[in-house]
Amino acid sequence: MFYSDDKKQYSVLNRRTFLLYLLKVSFFGIVGWRLYDIQIKDSQKYKTLSKNNQIDVEIIYPIRGKIYDTNNKVLASNIKVFDVYIIPENTKNINKSLKELNQIIKISFSDRRKILELSKKVKKFQKIKVLENINWSQLEKIESNKLNIEGIFISQDYMRTYKFDNTFSHLIGYTNKPNREEVELPFISNMPNLEIGKDGIEKSFNPKLIGKSGQREIEVNSYGRVIREISRQESQKGNDIHITIDLRIQQYALNLLKEHKAGSAVLMNIKNGNILCMASTPSYNPNKIIQKPNKEYWDSILENELSPLTYRCIQGLYAPGSTFKMVVAIAGIVHGIIDTNTKHFCSGKIGLGDRLYHCWKNNGHGSMNVSDAIKESCDVFFYEISKKIGIDKIARVAEDFGLGKIYDIPLSNQKKGIIPSRDWKKNKYDESWYPGETLISAIGQGFVLTNPLQLAVMTSIIASNGKNVKPNIIKQNIDIEFEKLEKYQTAIEIIKSSMFKVVNESKGTAYNSRSESAPFAGKTGTSQVRRITVAERESDDFRKKEVEWKKRDHALFVGYMPIEDPKYAVSVVIEHGGSGASTAAPIAKEIFQFTKNLEI
Amino acid sequence: MLNKIQNLNYLLIFLVILISFIGAAGLYSAAGGSYNPWASRHLIRLVLFIFLAIILALINIKFIYQYAYIFFILSLLLLLSVELIGVFGKGATRWINVFGFSIQPSELIKITIILALARFYHDLKFDEIKRIKNLFFPILILFLPFSLVVIQPDLGTALSIAMLGVLILFASGIRIWKFVLGFFVLILSIPLLLNYLQPYQKDRIFSFLNPEADALGRGYQLIQSKIALGSGGLTGKGFLEGSQSYLQYLPEKQTDFIFTLIGEEFGFIGTMFIILLFLLLISVCFYVSIKSNHIFGRILSIGVGSNLFIYVIMNISMVSGLMPVVGIPLPLVSYGGSAMLAIILSLGLVLNAELNGNLKKLYNA
Repeated sequence: MFYSDDKKQYSVLNRRTFLLYLLKVSFFGIVGWRLYDIQIKDSQKYKTLSKNNQIDVEIIYPIRGKIYDTNNKVLASNIKVFDVYIIPENTKNINKSLKELNQIIKISFSDRRKILELSKKVKKFQKIKVLENINWSQLEKIESNKLNIEGIFISQDYMRTYKFDNTFSHLIGYTNKPNREEVELPFISNMPNLEIGKDGIEKSFNPKLIGKSGQREIEVNSYGRVIREISRQESQKGNDIHITIDLRIQQYALNLLKEHKAGSAVLMNIKNGNILCMASTPSYNPNKIIQKPNKEYWDSILENELSPLTYRCIQGLYAPGSTFKMVVAIAGIVHGIIDTNTKHFCSGKIGLGDRLYHCWKNNGHGSMNVSDAIKESCDVFFYEISKKIGIDKIARVAEDFGLGKIYDIPLSNQKKGIIPSRDWKKNKYDESWYPGETLISAIGQGFVLTNPLQLAVMTSIIASNGKNVKPNIIKQNIDIEFEKLEKYQTAIEIIKSSMFKVVNESKGTAYNSRSESAPFAGKTGTSQVRRITVAERESDDFRKKEVEWKKRDHALFVGYMPIEDPKYAVSVVIEHGGSGASTAAPIAKEIFQFTKNLEI
Repeated sequence: MLNKIQNLNYLLIFLVILISFIGAAGLYSAAGGSYNPWASRHLIRLVLFIFLAIILALINIKFIYQYAYIFFILSLLLLLSVELIGVFGKGATRWINVFGFSIQPSELIKITIILALARFYHDLKFDEIKRIKNLFFPILILFLPFSLVVIQPDLGTALSIAMLGVLILFASGIRIWKFVLGFFVLILSIPLLLNYLQPYQKDRIFSFLNPEADALGRGYQLIQSKIALGSGGLTGKGFLEGSQSYLQYLPEKQTDFIFTLIGEEFGFIGTMFIILLFLLLISVCFYVSIKSNHIFGRILSIGVGSNLFIYVIMNISMVSGLMPVVGIPLPLVSYGGSAMLAIILSLGLVLNAELNGNLKKLYNA
């Protein structure tokens, strides 16, 4: 009984033991299959994940290219600046270190509190930025105390700097962190913190100036601590840009413009179209925009009603006034409407329809030929001839002389201006052209709008006897030969002799600005910014009265130098400057004389 | 005595030493290529515990049989005192100091449970096994330590105690329908159990269900451990080349996750090798069990083998994402004295059972 029971028990036990063993083997099978899945089947996926775990790619930012003037003077460069960090694990007492640092360079209490709070959140080995863009002398003070201050870490960085502050604000522009849309730009690619050009040359040449980023692969552990560098590819410095501007002339012109609230001066080399000076005032200081905090400075710029951000040379649109008369005269000669003998009598005004059109000289100029009309800037002569020429022919000539165009220069936001014509008015206002509007346009008023660079180009084309001069701002090593517009030859000769008389003969409007040392030719312009009422015109001395600055006329002058084989063309516009003869012409004279003395 | 030493199962001892050496290599790597702090102590423990296990193998099995319940009660008291220290003292703990050694009683209790159940079924006549009333005592033996461990709370150990109990009861011939019934009772009590879980344990279960949802939080361990295993591939990255562990992406790499470190450095070949060694070790226990002429030795050996099996399967399932992370070490490989002591001593009992396998009945022999 005992034994049979025993036997039965042992056979049950054996069976159970066998089943249990089977169960265990199958469990081992499941686990083995699972490991096969992870280690063999999905191995590639986990290998990638493992690599991503360890390898971090750090971008090395390139150094931005420099910008030079025509004589290799550095206009925009980069200075070494230093950022001061604190590393929590390297100091026993962060607060103490910060206080010691504060004795060298002021750190506000709230900033110190922020750093302290941050230090509690980040990993102990992570750097916390304390000071940004400190300069050499500040660095020296810290360095000499560094042994006393625990946990300080200093890293080098570059900051864009413009040696001549306001001199090139609009032309060169400034750099700043990209905004949300700019981050998408292709040249930024993997450098979201890259400072990029925001205006002027800096903006147009971003791709060239930026250079190429480098990168280093670093191995990091699970806390983000860098263990070692795996590979390093250095960044490539950006290319330098050389512009055609001559620093000396630019500075000189700006100095002349300083006397006035707002204005511009453009000087071009007629031979190759190189712009030597493109000064505009008021301007801004790009260094103050770059240095943070800049909010106060930005606000002051934005609140300034003279809008210092406007680059008047290419963005300021003015009625060209009498400087437009050359174009009208050329149109008249080319179309056979006038010749040197054609005369018109100026009584001070002419009537057309039921309106009177006045000459600036109330008493009239008397009998005028084209040469006198330009020299003395007679309006009536041009009223008369424009009636015969018609607006469309004037417009075509104006365009031949570079007006109403946007030039192929790397400056954005050029304003095109307006050269009116019948088609233009039809398209713009859906109205037909009135004959009176031709008269107003003929003296550069009414719809006509030009920017100062266009006026300089127009003058260059006249001065070069009709060469199709194209402005240029980037230095080029090739010789440029502009195509000549043959049909304007005779007309231009007549006009040039008239422009000579404007400056160099008595009764010429700019006779007071004639120069012995640097003889030049030119044309004054005074453009109205408001309609003159009949009552004002009848009070004899309305031009002499002190009028509010904003209501004063714009003063313009265009000219070229020397008289024979001209090399330079200038355009000066002084906003609300009074008259071209009194305000703009003297500035042009100074610029010509200065340029001549440089003997470039 | 000398005869007994000659007849020791040297295959079993060899397997223990081999697996422990692999463990020491893993710990050496986990320390960044250093014997300190883990590998050296692991090896010292191995020598000490094998010595203890051989002594245990050589003492009279009747003595062990006689004191089986006493051992159980003593270890239960030890476990209880951990609870009491937890309640009245320094807060929740799993450790207790015995003669200057820090011991985790929950590891030891598994061995004394095996002993107590082995004695109970040895004493019970086969006919009496089917009686319901004879289920009371074994379930009490299991339930007391189980509930104490649950209170700690140590979900992994509690679960392994429950599984150990089920496997031993199955091996000892309890009718199958009773297991089916028990299974249903368990299913029905799951909501109750969930209610009792600590928040961090619930987190672990939820993170197990969807580790990618919170890659840096609760699921972090599991994802990193799978990356370590998977990136090892077939042959591994090479000894001391495990970047996951070297760069500290692997959590608890010296204890519960040591298997993933070995998987990363030695690949699929390495993990399969370890699994086969464990299967072999368990097979030796089963062989001893089948060979044994008395129920005490049979249940003891099956119990020890099953205990080993539960450790291994739970640990590997845990690190490979087959079950939630519950905190179970890999025997002989993971760093940690209590589990290693318990495992090696229990294998010493198997050695003893084999040496005394020819005895029939222990109480009247």
